[in-house]
Amino acid sequence: MDLPIQMLTTAVAVPVFGAFLIPLAGRVSTTARNAFAVLLGLFTFVAAASLFSTVTGGETADYALSFPLGLDFILSADMLSVFMASISAFVSAIILIYSLDYISHYENQTEYYTMVVLFLGSMMGLVFSASLLWMYVFWEMTGFASWRLVGFFRSDRDVAKANKTILVTVFGALCMLIGIVMIYFDYGTLDLRALHGQSISYAAAALILTGILAKSATLPFSTWLPDAGVAPSTVTALLHAAVLVKIGVYAYARIFGVTFAAPDGFSNAVLYLAGASALVSAGAALIETDIKRIIAYSTVSQIAFIFLGLASGNRTAFAGALLYILMHSVAKGGLFLCAGIIEQNTHTKDINKMGGLFSSMPVTGTAFALCSLSVMGIPPFGGFFSKFLVFSGAAQNGSLPVLLMFLAGAVMTLLYLVRLFYKIFLGDPAGHKSPREGSYTMVASVMALALIGLALGALIYYPSAYTELLTANLGVNLQ
Amino acid sequence: MNLILIPIVLPLVSAFALLCMSERTKYLKEVLAVGAALVSLLAAANIFLLPPTALSYSWLGSGISFTLKTDNLSAFLLLAVSLFSAAISVYSFSLPAKGPAKWFLFNLLMTQAFAAGVALADNMVAMLFFWEGLLVFLYTFIALSQPTHAAKRTAMKAFLINAVTDLCLLAGVVITGYIAGTFSMSEISHNKLTLDYSWSIFAYVLLLVGAVSKAGAFPFHTWIPDAATDSSAPFMAYVPAAIDKLLGIYFLTRASVYLFALDGKMQLVLMTLGAVTILVAVMMAFVQKDYKRLLSYHAVSQTGYMILGIGTLNPIGIAGGLFHMINNAVFKSCLFMTAGAVERQTGTNDLSKLGGLFRSMPVTGVCFLIAAVSISGIAPLNGFFSKELIYKGTLETGYKVFFLAAEIGSFLTLASFLKLGHAAFFGKRPENLKETKEAPFSMLLPMLALAGICAAFGFGARLPLEWFISPSLTALNIQHGVLSGFHPDKLYFISVIVILAAVINHMVGLSAGGGKACKASDHIHYAPVLKETYALAERRAFDLYEQTMDHAVPFASKLLYRADRFLDWATDTLPSGAAGFFSGAFSRFHNGSYPLYMALTLAGTVIYILLAASNGGLR
Repeated sequence: MDLPIQMLTTAVAVPVFGAFLIPLAGRVSTTARNAFAVLLGLFTFVAAASLFSTVTGGETADYALSFPLGLDFILSADMLSVFMASISAFVSAIILIYSLDYISHYENQTEYYTMVVLFLGSMMGLVFSASLLWMYVFWEMTGFASWRLVGFFRSDRDVAKANKTILVTVFGALCMLIGIVMIYFDYGTLDLRALHGQSISYAAAALILTGILAKSATLPFSTWLPDAGVAPSTVTALLHAAVLVKIGVYAYARIFGVTFAAPDGFSNAVLYLAGASALVSAGAALIETDIKRIIAYSTVSQIAFIFLGLASGNRTAFAGALLYILMHSVAKGGLFLCAGIIEQNTHTKDINKMGGLFSSMPVTGTAFALCSLSVMGIPPFGGFFSKFLVFSGAAQNGSLPVLLMFLAGAVMTLLYLVRLFYKIFLGDPAGHKSPREGSYTMVASVMALALIGLALGALIYYPSAYTELLTANLGVNLQ
Repeated sequence: MNLILIPIVLPLVSAFALLCMSERTKYLKEVLAVGAALVSLLAAANIFLLPPTALSYSWLGSGISFTLKTDNLSAFLLLAVSLFSAAISVYSFSLPAKGPAKWFLFNLLMTQAFAAGVALADNMVAMLFFWEGLLVFLYTFIALSQPTHAAKRTAMKAFLINAVTDLCLLAGVVITGYIAGTFSMSEISHNKLTLDYSWSIFAYVLLLVGAVSKAGAFPFHTWIPDAATDSSAPFMAYVPAAIDKLLGIYFLTRASVYLFALDGKMQLVLMTLGAVTILVAVMMAFVQKDYKRLLSYHAVSQTGYMILGIGTLNPIGIAGGLFHMINNAVFKSCLFMTAGAVERQTGTNDLSKLGGLFRSMPVTGVCFLIAAVSISGIAPLNGFFSKELIYKGTLETGYKVFFLAAEIGSFLTLASFLKLGHAAFFGKRPENLKETKEAPFSMLLPMLALAGICAAFGFGARLPLEWFISPSLTALNIQHGVLSGFHPDKLYFISVIVILAAVINHMVGLSAGGGKACKASDHIHYAPVLKETYALAERRAFDLYEQTMDHAVPFASKLLYRADRFLDWATDTLPSGAAGFFSGAFSRFHNGSYPLYMALTLAGTVIYILLAASNGGLR
């Protein structure tokens, strides 16, 4: 096998199978287990990122294992999958490093590491799969891992929220499966490369969309995401900010962006749905007082911006949406990890009981501010460019109501993030004993994410050139 | 390195170098900042003297490039930005009341770098990048200037107001770029957009909101008076008085005459906005009892003159607007500097506690007088000439009502400066201020320089008009005649009448207020109707920001939260309730009774046979 194909298969196989070796490493020692988990994360990232040189050269790496009835197991590395896989693996690796300190006070650590790495592996499988069936299989595997992770703390309430997570997402996934079966009967294959440029029926598109919306926590299936905030902050960062919720977005880009030509009416419906989602969740974020629920609602509202870009039907918006995925993963991951530090050191999630934390936690506060600025889309942070391109594309789409909805959504993003920062870090201290700053690795992780957001803004030429090339090469039916 | 990049890159690099220095080093940081600002000023002067050039890098994908261009207007603006940065960096040298020196200078240099970027950017996306980038430093500038909660709150207010209007600007830029097919301003100007269809009107209005909000016009001005009390004098002298005005009016001009060809309706909108801003802000300024707060309302009010001038859309008015932009920055910055000097030497800005300072602070007093005479539009200082151009432009449009509003504004401006000067520098000196000394040299120097510019641009008004304003109009492709010249015509006599009226008003106010200068506005402040209006204004009933945050935002978010809760009910409570109901209902039939199972089976069979029979029978 060629080196790129080896890298492709190892990027999927190593974390998936390595996850099951973590309990064995746990038998040896805690340190060995932790080191092994972090190494698996880093290795996955390196393997995924090494494929950049292949795909930017205009080639793809493919690996196929044949199965009967046209249901082959196909892995394919193209520009989109490598982009997505690298972001996911990178954020996951940072989260694993941060976890070393964060999770060390709790029970069931071995299960935690196993599930995180398994989740990462299934994510890699999902992203690289070029067959809808295998995409679905990995899709459910991520659902399973997230179910165990959300229910990491075993109180009845936690378990109930974890069940809600999996029930909603599996409901969506089953709808999607019906859609996939319909495609199979229409075309006799589920190989996405063969389906490139085909048309898709409204019914199949709507069913697949249901699965996507459920996974990406978009209206009307959005509320499982804030509820899943009961999980440890690392889990919420991994699942609900950086990686899991991006699965739906990725699937949308993969299925309706670069494979099928989505009908216009369908795209318009998605735009309105996303606009409503942006507004409703932003409104909820202004009311809530639980730090993690607020950030989760913020995720719901930002995901809507990504959908706006993907469904606007032109190249600018599509490239902007892909950049948005990158910027949002980094910044929102940072926000959740900051929330983890705050939660662990103040022993509360209620922002009314915080206030004035900046003086005792200056580094966390700075990282939080920088990440918030990136999410708001303020230059010189990377978030500015993605927001600009998405808006630019929406203007080209020419629908005034949609543009106004998202403008209002962007204004509300400013409001709830400023309110959150003010309530936590400024304002009057509300009866806490000036908690300490987080541990060195934790603070370093969040600061790294914040500074990467800044660096992405300064070096915007490279990611934007990449997404533009991607859109030009792979995009279907874009203006 | 290319010369054009120096005014952007040098302050940027120096700012980061500052961050690496210890707060304890003495004067090292200040020297670095002053040095960077002076070198940038030299570079800006050099750019101004050289013929226009451009610089372009590929940036955001293939469609959007990072283009800087030094046409005459941009070079003029860059020179102004650099001048004020240099002045403020010198001024703040020995001023303790500016928060941590390191952060103050960091914010100063970053603001300078980004403002220079706005001035030079030809591509609207690059301009937006620098423009919005200023937000962060606006916030940290105010938040770090005082260790109080009020400073943090005002910083948040300033940030939110500007961030929201910057989003409007962003939307305006994307729509303009889409209609025009390019983001390059110089390319759009070859084929100006017209307001014929709704998208272009929408685009222009969004650009307008962004521009006038940066300039601090009504109703986006309300953070400025708050910042006057909650932040430092050098910040006020630098950002709201100088940089924000320069950038806002600069882009307003670009948008209104360079990118778009406006029609009569939009002209009326602009002029109305200008007149309303003049009157509302000057009415507020007149009754203030705090040195800096009074000045801050004037900073808003003077913006109205510039918008009015630009809004006339004729060469005289636009020239007046641009000339007033630079003049206002000069005298307003100088006035805030005198406020900072008075605050440093006496410890207060409260007019009722000041008085008779002229004898102990003569240099500050003279600078104040020059700047106050300028802002009041008294000949032959610079304010007179720019206001005269604006008046002429306004009269040329035929709408006399705007001219009247501008003259009323002038009357109240002079009246409030009579009150301010009288209360602070003349009259009786309070006992505790007997020992007051003059401010240090580093503060006097920039003040004197700016006051000198006021005088030079007044007595030699031809020079700035020929060097700066006329080439700027040429850069905007506006044909125009000779702009300068002092004429003892009707306008001049009207200005004399306004001066006399203001002096008489001051006398009346003094006698009504028992001879106390700080009460010289009370006869208007507590007049019927006005009294209630002012009381409402004090309670922030007219503050768009406070009203929105107190009423509209909670209402809207509660409504949206209801929708969210409904969806939660529909995806969580309803399905689990339904599942519970049906499983409960079905489990009632599964009670182990054999006859019941048999009866159900039989009933099912009968139903099946009936259904099959109605569809054509069993086959």
